[in-house]
Amino acid sequence: MRRLLLFLLLAAALATGCTPRSEGRIVYGLTLNPTGIDPHINASSELGIPLTSVYDTLVYQDPQTGGFVPGLAERWEVSADGQVYTFYLRRGVKFHDGTPFNAEAVRFNLERITNPDLASQKARFMLGPFERAEVVDEYTIRIVMSEPYAPLLDSLSQVYLAMASPAAIQKWGLEYQLHQTGTGPFIFAEFVPGDHLTLRPNPDYAWGPRVYQHKTAQLAEIEFRFFTDAATRAPALESGEADVMGEVPPLDAVRLQKNPNFRIQPVPIPGLSLVYFMNVTRPPLDDLRVRQALIYGTDRQVIVSTVFQGTSPVACGPLTAVTFGYDPAVCQFYPYDPSRAATLLEEAGWKDTDGDGIRDRNGQPLTLDLYLMGWGYLPDIVQLMASQWAQLGINVNMQKVTYPEALQIAKDGTHHLLPFSSSGTDPHILRTFFYSQARFNWSKVNDPELDGWLDEAARLFDRNQRAALYSRIQNRIMEQALVIPIRDYVNLNGVNNRVQGLRFDAQGWFPWLIDVTVQQ
Amino acid sequence: MRVYFADAKRYLERQGQEQPTLMRTMRILEIPQLQARPLPRPLLRQPVAVLAILWLTGVIVGAAVIPYLAPEGPQAMDLSRAMLPPGRGGLLGTDFMGRDIFVRLLWGGRLTLWMGIRALALAVGLGLPLGLAAGSLGGRVDAIVMRLIDAWLAFPSLLLALTVLAILGRGLSSVAIAVGLAAAAPYARIVRATAREIRAQPYIEAAIAVGASPLRIALRHILPNAAPALATFAAIQLGWVLLHGAGLNYMGLGAPPGTPEWGAMLAEGRDYLRAAPWVAAVPGLALTFTVLAANILGDRLGRE
Repeated sequence: MRRLLLFLLLAAALATGCTPRSEGRIVYGLTLNPTGIDPHINASSELGIPLTSVYDTLVYQDPQTGGFVPGLAERWEVSADGQVYTFYLRRGVKFHDGTPFNAEAVRFNLERITNPDLASQKARFMLGPFERAEVVDEYTIRIVMSEPYAPLLDSLSQVYLAMASPAAIQKWGLEYQLHQTGTGPFIFAEFVPGDHLTLRPNPDYAWGPRVYQHKTAQLAEIEFRFFTDAATRAPALESGEADVMGEVPPLDAVRLQKNPNFRIQPVPIPGLSLVYFMNVTRPPLDDLRVRQALIYGTDRQVIVSTVFQGTSPVACGPLTAVTFGYDPAVCQFYPYDPSRAATLLEEAGWKDTDGDGIRDRNGQPLTLDLYLMGWGYLPDIVQLMASQWAQLGINVNMQKVTYPEALQIAKDGTHHLLPFSSSGTDPHILRTFFYSQARFNWSKVNDPELDGWLDEAARLFDRNQRAALYSRIQNRIMEQALVIPIRDYVNLNGVNNRVQGLRFDAQGWFPWLIDVTVQQ
Repeated sequence: MRVYFADAKRYLERQGQEQPTLMRTMRILEIPQLQARPLPRPLLRQPVAVLAILWLTGVIVGAAVIPYLAPEGPQAMDLSRAMLPPGRGGLLGTDFMGRDIFVRLLWGGRLTLWMGIRALALAVGLGLPLGLAAGSLGGRVDAIVMRLIDAWLAFPSLLLALTVLAILGRGLSSVAIAVGLAAAAPYARIVRATAREIRAQPYIEAAIAVGASPLRIALRHILPNAAPALATFAAIQLGWVLLHGAGLNYMGLGAPPGTPEWGAMLAEGRDYLRAAPWVAAVPGLALTFTVLAANILGDRLGRE
């Protein structure tokens, strides 16, 4: 019904106004206050929410099909060995500062990202085995990889590898992030760090991808404001202080849904589900049976319905259900079964011999060091987990840490359990977490076969073959009980009903603001 | 004293006031003890003080008996009874995990009070000897100790506490130490001021004249006379350490998640402020009343 209404509204809008016009302004609430917002340098998901509309990318991913459509590149070719990508660029594209977009600009951007001096936190890693970029002619660029790398198009479709104006980068140097200049439908008008960021429409925009519904921006202004405190988000929407708000707390979302003036647009995020990594090198978690018992003993359904009010699905494995290559077969592993968990613990030698309610073995109590960060309702989740495990005779030492502290703990391997969650459309994200040498190998897994599969999957170009291999990888991760999957991430966007046409890209995080309209 | 009166008289005369009355003279000298003020009523006949005492007694008794009332502990969950308001959900309602807030409040009272007492013990344990030494010995000792205290006070107390927490790591004991250290410096300063005042009295001069050692003077003469003032200030300090300890827990720097410490409970309830306001309101009010009661008691004791 709502979709039909939307369609009618859209049809009416198209019929009445064929000339491009921009009117109205909205306030868009961001949930983090990133320290840096240069997409080539910084890794925050939050920066992409405004900047996806400031920049264009070479290709775009269609959220419906998962396929790639032309963006700044009209078409592209991949060599037979999968190592050379040739992109034929669109002509007549201009950056916001008036300089032309061409192959030289692409080369400049890619070299900026891969220059170690830039210390890129995300963009560089997304380029994988990038070797060099060659300008063939003014509108043809060749990207050469040192080995086949299937996720490249996915990477190039994301704002982190967006095309910025070389002239602006050279002009502003270190201050570029305050003066970002792209080719996108909106111009980066003003940024006062910690306070607001303002976008205004780019009147010259005429090269949008076909996934955009409009030719130019429909709004006259978008102001982004920061609502870092989760408790303030719903009140800001209700008071009219903001028109769109990301990550509304689940309880508030349930309440807002009942209000006819607002709607909740839940967007499932592809990538790594919220998981607790189990350190397989630290006893007692070096014993597979203990790891399996922990998953069997965790009632994830209760966690999801209590903490998330059922707004998120229970996670079955390391990938969320909307990620390419996700294998639903992993849901067969480890249904909630406390008696099975107890049996496994007994088999592993953990029995409560001294009658204190906590299992022990050779005089050592079954105590696990669990760390958590302040985000993602982890403090609530771990309390439920600890109470479920307490019934199994498992004692938990909980400690809240900051992200840098967590990185140090992971590096030292002093944890039993450490949580993480991450977004990304390509299952290649698994390599970041389960490859033996990976930075985020928080399970401390060292499985040469798994490493081999992860390497091979990045080289495969056939989608079916890739999916099959990633299915094997997911099954191995769950057989080995490397993680306790908790929930699939769902971003609950609260939207004032006067705002129409809000859609999100394939990553789930980034809105296509060009199509957003507002009723006065 | 007589010299001062003479000075004041002379001053009043020079101002053209003909009859320098005793009251007028005293006002110039600002002698507080002698200013006209109604005698305070006994503590137990002041309704506010009685309320404060009753509240503190209630909290202490509750903290003492809760292990017998609710032996299953503060974490007992019943998810089918989540977020029930006071009444349907027991005396003070339940939180989002179906835990009884009244039970948690009393268990939390144990943690909060124990933290406050430890912090206060540290503040007094450090501040009292330092202040007493500075105030009764004077001279170089006074100069050195007071510069140390000045440097200590130069740090905002919260910053100091955060620094201590960064070094010690998180936990309720760390919070107690952090807050106690922050509270020690102002306490030392009060002790020193009181000690100096008493040291100027003639009976101390007399004690010095008969050859009493500085240690004996400090412990036998200055300390007993300073005790009422110090106890008063300690009561006010108790309110301060409770508030700041709870504040650090509120920021998530102290107790692990789920601990019913009042500051941590308040922080947890904040996310449910719209759906279940009592979850945050109950520990918040309990904290307010306890700090208020400690301050009232300190204030009234000081007037005695």
